[in-house]
Amino acid sequence: MIGRRNGAGIPVGLLVLVLLPLILMPIAAVFVFAFRGGPGEFLKALRTEDAQFALRFSLLIAFLTAAINAVLGTWAAYVLAKHRFRGERPLAIAINLPVAIPTVVVGTSLLLLWGPIGLFGKLLAPLGLQPMFTPAGVLLAHLFVTFPYMLGAVKPLLDELEVTYEEAAYTLGAGRWQTFRYVILPALKGGLFSGTLLTFAHSLGEFGATVMVSGNLRLRTQTAPLYIFAQFEAGKVAQANAVAAVLAALSFVIFFFLLRYSGTTGKERT
Amino acid sequence: MSIRLEQLTKSFGGQRVVKSTSLEVRDGEVFVLLGASGSGKSTILRLIAGLSAPDSGRIQLHGRDVTDLPPQERGIGFVFQNYSIFRHMSVAENIEFPLKIRKVAGPERTRRREQLLDLVGLGGLGNRYAHQLSGGQQQRVALARALVHEPSVLLLDEPFGALDVKIRGQLRRNLKEIQRQLGVTAILVTHDQEEAFELADRVGLMERGELLEVGEPEALYARPLTFFGATFLGAGTVLVGRARDGAAQLGALSLPIPPEVEHEEDARVRVLVRPEQVALSAEPPERGVRLLGRGTIVEQSFLGALRRLRVRLPAIPGTRQASPAVYGEESLLVDAVLPAGEDLSGPEVWVSLKGWHILAPPRPRILACDLPDAGSPAPFALLQALEGPLDARISLLSVTDDTDRVEALRASQTERAAAHGLPDAEPVVRRGEPVAEIAAEQVQSLYDFLVLKTPESGPSEVLGGILATLSTPLLAVQEAPASFARILICTAVGEPGKADVRVGGWLARRLGAEVTLLHVLLDGGEPAPWVKAHLDAGLATLRALEVTSRTALRPARTAVQGILDEAKEGDYDLIVLGRHAASRPAAGRSRRHDFTFEILSGSGKSLLIVPPDQ
Repeated sequence: MIGRRNGAGIPVGLLVLVLLPLILMPIAAVFVFAFRGGPGEFLKALRTEDAQFALRFSLLIAFLTAAINAVLGTWAAYVLAKHRFRGERPLAIAINLPVAIPTVVVGTSLLLLWGPIGLFGKLLAPLGLQPMFTPAGVLLAHLFVTFPYMLGAVKPLLDELEVTYEEAAYTLGAGRWQTFRYVILPALKGGLFSGTLLTFAHSLGEFGATVMVSGNLRLRTQTAPLYIFAQFEAGKVAQANAVAAVLAALSFVIFFFLLRYSGTTGKERT
Repeated sequence: MSIRLEQLTKSFGGQRVVKSTSLEVRDGEVFVLLGASGSGKSTILRLIAGLSAPDSGRIQLHGRDVTDLPPQERGIGFVFQNYSIFRHMSVAENIEFPLKIRKVAGPERTRRREQLLDLVGLGGLGNRYAHQLSGGQQQRVALARALVHEPSVLLLDEPFGALDVKIRGQLRRNLKEIQRQLGVTAILVTHDQEEAFELADRVGLMERGELLEVGEPEALYARPLTFFGATFLGAGTVLVGRARDGAAQLGALSLPIPPEVEHEEDARVRVLVRPEQVALSAEPPERGVRLLGRGTIVEQSFLGALRRLRVRLPAIPGTRQASPAVYGEESLLVDAVLPAGEDLSGPEVWVSLKGWHILAPPRPRILACDLPDAGSPAPFALLQALEGPLDARISLLSVTDDTDRVEALRASQTERAAAHGLPDAEPVVRRGEPVAEIAAEQVQSLYDFLVLKTPESGPSEVLGGILATLSTPLLAVQEAPASFARILICTAVGEPGKADVRVGGWLARRLGAEVTLLHVLLDGGEPAPWVKAHLDAGLATLRALEVTSRTALRPARTAVQGILDEAKEGDYDLIVLGRHAASRPAAGRSRRHDFTFEILSGSGKSLLIVPPDQ
């Protein structure tokens, strides 16, 4: 619409000019470099054991993170939206904190807490448990970092629901669980979908916290972003770019769904 | 009985929003709870539905005690003001929802859904969603959904509040028709008097958490018991006169009080005159007509078939206006209606009454000052002892100059009152300086008694200030006794006061106390004839109130000495004094020599100080 307005040509052109080197060109570069050696080289780079593991591990972690946080986030949003209590705001801020803190710092603090010499880690060590530098540690970090996204997607929808929504269901004979299942949950569908996708996407690309808690152990805790970084450092740019291109493509698909879905729910609501 | 409420109470944050409410609703009846917002009417509905739990009391639906049951098991239908249509479900799915929950088979569900859709006039709209419907249609869906599972009781919370006037009227007629067809018992909550009159078989009028009166619309309109009922339901003029010989006196006009209205001789009587009961004429009316006076038309408004007029009459002695209340108006204002075509020749009209209604005497109101900082905390034990026998409504007044403390004070007051067995006491917090604010509160709301505890250190500045501007009988409490069993009424000082005998006698009657009427003989010797006459008149008044009473004559050097001597010998719990011009300290004299102060500190007893009649 904007482009069709009179006199919009210059500002829009300027915007594109600024965005081009900032966003669009680097993304294009990933694909260009990935396929520079031809499709054969690209596939070969992807078929190495390390690359395969990194991609599969990343997908698994992203899937688990999204699934667990879908439940945890909805529950937290429900509790926060439904109950009015003292310290509600501080709690809401604390829950959203992971968005504001650099992920490397999150990783560091997790290490300090759960690491071999950490507060909890010390207690677990005699039991032979060591959550850091394991897949479980990576999952923990991802859950922590992505938790606010799920909450942010679901809570506004819950806040928007009329208070009497639940009460109406009760007076019609529905129990608590039936009310949640048939009345609340369907109303959250859009938020759950976009929240889960967002969480998945963030987990897939997570670097800062992962690099701290995983120990970057190949074939054990190395996620795709860590693999890309490691290959780059070792000077194997083609290897790095192949995995980077796959990650970018996955992100595009998720982004596409997000845009489409949030677009339609927006229309439905008005 | 479909619905039976027994002494339901509910508080939120220390505030009583429902005060001991009992109610019975008959089978198939439409009962409308009418009141302003915040009157507790919606809370009662939510208590019946089980959406909120009462603090005490029982709820029965069709003979079944449901007080402890969750809403799901009460068998009710509830229509919310905001409809609460489930937005992700179609109209059909919404209406089927209660049936789905109850595992009703598919074909039966479809049959019932179609039946209800037809009933509410939405046939063919089953596939629509809430956002595709108008407000009125959404309300119909909500109604159908609330009725589809055949509840025994239908509860409607301001169901038409969010709709425009035209649709409202149409929906009201629909609702009435549907209710008749199904024969379901319904309680509807509204603040709209017109709605209540149109829909209700009976109306319950609510104010401040209290169900004030219940009755059929016409009876409530014509013969309300309370002032609130008189002014909230329709327009009208309320004039306050005095009861004399079984009639309400408004100046020269005397209106017989019907025997069913309980009243005490010389007490205030409130007379309600509805606009249609007022006759206006350009010529002086013939004799035998109840003529109120001659006035000027000050306002006119055209209402279609009728014209509403407001007439201002010069003040009538002994008559005060309670409604319509206009600030700073000393003359009387009377509202009337005329057919729109009828014309009066000029602004000057004769006003006479074609009909009237005498309101029941109001529950007495006590304003208790709660000023702990000034050494005068509210005497809770005494207030508790007075509340029941007087059937009084108690307000607790505290005054602060700190704006930030107002809310905290209100909360702590409510809490303390509840802890002292006065959960219904209403907190009043004013900002400013105590004496001025106490005076202002007395003027703004009508109270029957003012209560102030005298500080341990003796009569205070505050007490002196209050006495200077006293317009309400003041109970100055010292070493509060548990009750007042022996009351001494001092009639000796200055001109004979009728008010002190009346107020003291009224209190004695309610408390079952004995009264001694005291006259102090200053000159010694035989009492003058007027003294005897005065005492006899006082005794007659007390006897009429059925109070055990006697007289006492006591010679003394000063009035104060006589009263103090009698108080000491007779072991009275309360001394009643008139506060007349003569007993006020002359300019320049210190408070120490104030008559009231001398008796207060000399006797150590509680005092009831009665100002003269206005």
